[in-house]
Amino acid sequence: MRFGIILLLLIAAVSVVGSLIPQGNEPAYYAKIYGSGHPWILLLGLDNVFKGWVFIALTVLLSLNLTLCSVVRIRKTVSEGKDLLENVSRLPDAGSATPEEIGKIKQHLKSKRCREKQFDCGTVYYKNLLGRYGTFVTHLAILLTVVFGALALSLPIVTDQTCYPGNSITMKDGTEIYVDSFSIEDEEGNLNYNSFVQLTLSDGRQSEIQQIRVNYPLSFRGYKVYQQTYGTAGSVEVVNARTGGQDVFILEESAFLSTDGMNGIFYRDLYPGFVKDGNGNYTLITSTSGSYPDPVYDIAIMSEGEQTDVLAFPGDEITLGDFKYVFNDPVEYPGLRIKHTPNLVNVLLLISFVLLTAGLYMTFFTVPSLVKVSGTGYAVAGPKPEADRIEIEMILKNGETNL
Amino acid sequence: MNALFFGSLILLFAASALQMIGSVFKKEKLSKIAWIVFLTAFAALSVFIVIRGFSAKRVPLANQFEFATAFAWGICLMLAVLRLRYKADWISAVAIPAAFIVLSYAALQPKEITDLMPALKSSWFVFHIGSAVFSYSAFIIAGCVGLRYILASKKENADELKLHRMDYMSYRMIAFGFLMLTITILTGALWAEQAWSSFWTWDPKEVWALITWIIYAVYLHLRLRSKKSGIKMAWFALIAVPVVLFTFAGVNTLIPGLHSYG
Repeated sequence: MRFGIILLLLIAAVSVVGSLIPQGNEPAYYAKIYGSGHPWILLLGLDNVFKGWVFIALTVLLSLNLTLCSVVRIRKTVSEGKDLLENVSRLPDAGSATPEEIGKIKQHLKSKRCREKQFDCGTVYYKNLLGRYGTFVTHLAILLTVVFGALALSLPIVTDQTCYPGNSITMKDGTEIYVDSFSIEDEEGNLNYNSFVQLTLSDGRQSEIQQIRVNYPLSFRGYKVYQQTYGTAGSVEVVNARTGGQDVFILEESAFLSTDGMNGIFYRDLYPGFVKDGNGNYTLITSTSGSYPDPVYDIAIMSEGEQTDVLAFPGDEITLGDFKYVFNDPVEYPGLRIKHTPNLVNVLLLISFVLLTAGLYMTFFTVPSLVKVSGTGYAVAGPKPEADRIEIEMILKNGETNL
Repeated sequence: MNALFFGSLILLFAASALQMIGSVFKKEKLSKIAWIVFLTAFAALSVFIVIRGFSAKRVPLANQFEFATAFAWGICLMLAVLRLRYKADWISAVAIPAAFIVLSYAALQPKEITDLMPALKSSWFVFHIGSAVFSYSAFIIAGCVGLRYILASKKENADELKLHRMDYMSYRMIAFGFLMLTITILTGALWAEQAWSSFWTWDPKEVWALITWIIYAVYLHLRLRSKKSGIKMAWFALIAVPVVLFTFAGVNTLIPGLHSYG
């Protein structure tokens, strides 16, 4: 047990370091923050503590310790369980009591709903015997949580993708995620980004089209599709007046829309809104909320070697030679996270969680009572005899207990 | 609504002062008045939390102010239960000031009611944060009982049975807090998987919750397996309190992470 405690304290100490030093950044970051001390951080692996060999070794040792503890504990509990009540009845009295006091003790034990069994040496009062297995269940559950937790963190294949509404993402294994629609705000104007998506496996099995938002991913046959982030992009339709051909361009970053490399529209950025003063000057608003209530295109018209900076609004049209550029409403698109993981691991981890909660409840809240009462005194047994002992002491001293 | 909050704060301060004076000068009557003032503060704080919940149209646990208020309320609730159910009158002198300090911290936080951000709109919200409130409160009460044990044990002719009771009560509060903290961590893991796709991200708040869990796991091991009790475990319960407070407030304030909700 002492070894287990040392391991726990070492894991805590390593975790403190891992929480104080930002994890998983580039070496340049540590050079900037920690100056001349940064080589030590990199050398000792303090930039990636939780994936480092020290932490992994401590976790493995703790798992081995828990395994050993669980085996020893269950063997001991089972062996003690044989003839348990009879063995308790043979215990020598730990305290003496008058017949009147013994009456009070018996009354107290009955009021605690203890069951009783008569033996030659006295009566044994007992309850919550299942609680004897509490620490075993707890240790086993911690072990399972560590093992299945490690699997649940290492096995999944996670991919982050953006996708415009109406388009699909195809994974390496042929699985396809179709984004039917996306919106950033709900009908009341609150930030509530959500998509309607459909997942099709490579064998043709298909999910329903389902709404996903933060906390509510689509889950289908080991795949999960999460609503992770969102973005807004400009949309410009270019029409060739001569041929009648047209195309829509989605603009996420600076772009030059031109056929000859000289004339065309240079797209700089899209802004969510603007303020116009009395002189007709515009101040562009930047926003991080994701909402674009009054979108403005910041562009430059390149014509015959001349550049003219202008602002364009959805619905505006600019004609340059044979080409007409129509500025559309911006396109909102989701950032999706696609995770593929064996379902069994998640189920086993969930069972470990339930087992851990149950184990702790059994350990602390169904504490076994094992009290032998003879004609001249009493003895308290069981793995955690404190409460019974204090209660009986209080009864003998004060005539009542309120522990 | 703010009047109710600040009224509770002032009443808790008054109860703390009365209780301290009553304890130091052994004035039974002052302690009784302090208890009545405390119960009034507790009732006012309960009403404040309910009204805020109705105003916000959600469980008021979404930011540091609301959590700290609930945390102070949790300490008050456990103190009331310990006194009324277990006649542990001796705990008031340290637990009422503890509730006052936590509520004072809440008073320093922004109090505006804000909409829940998308990440917090989950059915796990109440279980995860609610269990954290009870967990932290239980650990604080255990620390208070530990402090009371240390003070009581220094007296000549200290009542051994009373010390045993304090020792046992501190342990029981830690056992309850430990179960609640475990539920906090497990529901947090399940929630994280639903929201961020991973059960565990080594976010500073998660790490410090784990550190707190380990510290109290060590306490419980020493208590149950090594049969350690008495003054050493009282010191342990007391010294562990700063770890709880750092996990509660320090992490959010000093270390940026996924749990920085304001």
